Amino acid sequence: MVNKEEDPVGSYFLDLWKSRLSKDDVFNDDNEETEEVGPTELDTLKSSGGFSIVLPDKLSVKYPNVNLHGHDVGVVQANNPAPVNCLVYYFEIFVKNAGVKGHVSIGFTTQGFNLRRQPGWDANSFGYHGDDGLIYQGQGKGDAFGPTYTTGDTVGGGINYASQQFFFTKNGQVVGSVPINVTGRLYPTVGVHSQNEEVSVNFGKDPFLFDIKAYEASQRAEHQRFIERLSISPTASYGIVRSYLQHYGYEETLGVFDEATLTSVPPITGFSDNGFNEHNHYALHHRKILRQQIKDGQIDDAFAKLREWYPVIVQDDTSVICFMLHCQKFIELVRVGSLEEAVCYGKAHFEKFYSLKDYEDLVKDCAALLAYLEPKKSPVGYLLEDTQRENVADAVNAMILSTNPALKDQRSCLHSYLERLLKQLSACFLEKRLLNGNQGEAFHLRRVLLSKST
Amino acid sequence: MPATSKKVITRDEWEKKLNDVKIRKEDMNKLVMNFLVTEGYVDAAEKFRKESGTEPEIDLATITDRMAVKKAVQDGHVVDAIEKVNDLNPEASYYLPTDLNGKTGYADQQRLIELIREGQVAQALEFAQDELAPRGEPSFLEELERTVALLAFEDVKNSPVGDLLDLSHRSKVASEVNAAILTSQSHEKDPKLPSLLRMLLWAQNQLDEKAVYPRITDLFTAALEDPSV
Repeated sequence: MVNKEEDPVGSYFLDLWKSRLSKDDVFNDDNEETEEVGPTELDTLKSSGGFSIVLPDKLSVKYPNVNLHGHDVGVVQANNPAPVNCLVYYFEIFVKNAGVKGHVSIGFTTQGFNLRRQPGWDANSFGYHGDDGLIYQGQGKGDAFGPTYTTGDTVGGGINYASQQFFFTKNGQVVGSVPINVTGRLYPTVGVHSQNEEVSVNFGKDPFLFDIKAYEASQRAEHQRFIERLSISPTASYGIVRSYLQHYGYEETLGVFDEATLTSVPPITGFSDNGFNEHNHYALHHRKILRQQIKDGQIDDAFAKLREWYPVIVQDDTSVICFMLHCQKFIELVRVGSLEEAVCYGKAHFEKFYSLKDYEDLVKDCAALLAYLEPKKSPVGYLLEDTQRENVADAVNAMILSTNPALKDQRSCLHSYLERLLKQLSACFLEKRLLNGNQGEAFHLRRVLLSKST
Repeated sequence: MPATSKKVITRDEWEKKLNDVKIRKEDMNKLVMNFLVTEGYVDAAEKFRKESGTEPEIDLATITDRMAVKKAVQDGHVVDAIEKVNDLNPEASYYLPTDLNGKTGYADQQRLIELIREGQVAQALEFAQDELAPRGEPSFLEELERTVALLAFEDVKNSPVGDLLDLSHRSKVASEVNAAILTSQSHEKDPKLPSLLRMLLWAQNQLDEKAVYPRITDLFTAALEDPSV
């Protein structure tokens, strides 16, 4: 059994391998978002006791009667709540007929809202009302907000998840915004409350009058400006790149990089001094050589060097690192087509691992390579990719780092500073979204890393 | 939200969350390669390609050319630099001498500065009067006047326009030229890494409003600080 306490470094890289083995690749975050079903039409099931009627197109609502009091409003919600995995949600209404009194309203309500009351009158609801131009935020009394609207006007309601605000528009112009002080899913909502009032709703099937794309772009640009205004040390990136090269033993790159930064005019300094990186140059040359050997598939040579330089790492032949190296040797034999030799090697070395639960699936994957004429194209083809070699090389690199007597924390061998910073970045975005009730755009580091435009 | 209602996340809880975030090694390699390429460390980029197996996003040969232009500006050989740009990519030249607005007007201004620095007064005046002044762009004329003023001072270094002769001004122009060439190659002019670092600071500032958690303040050590409750 692999003991995480005893061998945190080995078990970490073993887990990395396992995460590639399982069908649900943890790295593949591109598909995790299932398409959200947003509002498409008005809800016709929960009618408001006959005070309003939804017309057969399910996108128009009409108030046929004479209104008498405050509890015979005709309110209709959308069939689905507004989607949350986005920067902004938006919909529009067109006032076909303001009726006798023009008591049209647009807003957002939560599930279970009393459909005989105007949005904004009761708790957990917000509404921009046409007759007085006021915004109602869950109380009977409205607040000064914008212009009134009536027959012929197009009015929009939106949710800006980034700023946590509702915003409203009239005839394509933003009227104003108010903070979202409610939790729970929000339903686009329309209210009518005097005879002959008729409103049609556009949930995005037709083009909006308001330029929502431009609004989104301006929100993003504003974000970007905020971020760019933050100042960081101009040498921070240099320090992080340098420590990355040190961490993974990219010795030649490091040498050339150091020389280039020192000889540039003016020289770039202040980031490489006196060992802020605890690993420094520890075993740099050895790590470089071993990485190269593994990258070239020379596993026997790597084993020999490890036995010579760091016998402690390979003394236990059932350790994770030995297991990974043996597997890699097997994989390299398959790669060059020496199948018989591979079989012999597997027989000699896999036996002792096969009984260990932790290794079982991995051994099976390796052995499965033998079953295919073109193993590269098989379900276990990932074993022949460069990333598999790199993971083994990274594991060996980390094991050597862990032999550094000056080391304070074993786990510091696992991650470069760059990786720690990127993890922190992702974790902050995830946590922030979690605290916002999982609303707003999900953060995908990978998309930022691979995007072409900044 | 009042301070008392902030969520408190302990170091253990936060480390668990950090562990759940998976970063691909190849993505980090790409990020480092992007930095080396954009900042013009062509030799380091070449070594990194060999050592890490990461393919650079643009032809490394174009970095060599770009760095040659940058160096020419840094050494004060502006005419030489402009010629090199023309050789490099006819499109890139579009971003330099023809555009007088904003940054690329610098190249001509820098040429004038170098003439003045070398004490070639007659040539400097001829270049200014015959070639630059007729262009008549107001913001450019202002800079032109400021530059010609260099001729009017005995002790130029301590004059109000002394900054133009400073070597750091050359570096500034050099990086503007560098950015113009990158833009012409439809490559981003800034590496991604510094903007990610800014994004990290921003994300932490945002989260500060809602939670107390272990932050990273020192980018050089990436050390997690204990949450201060």
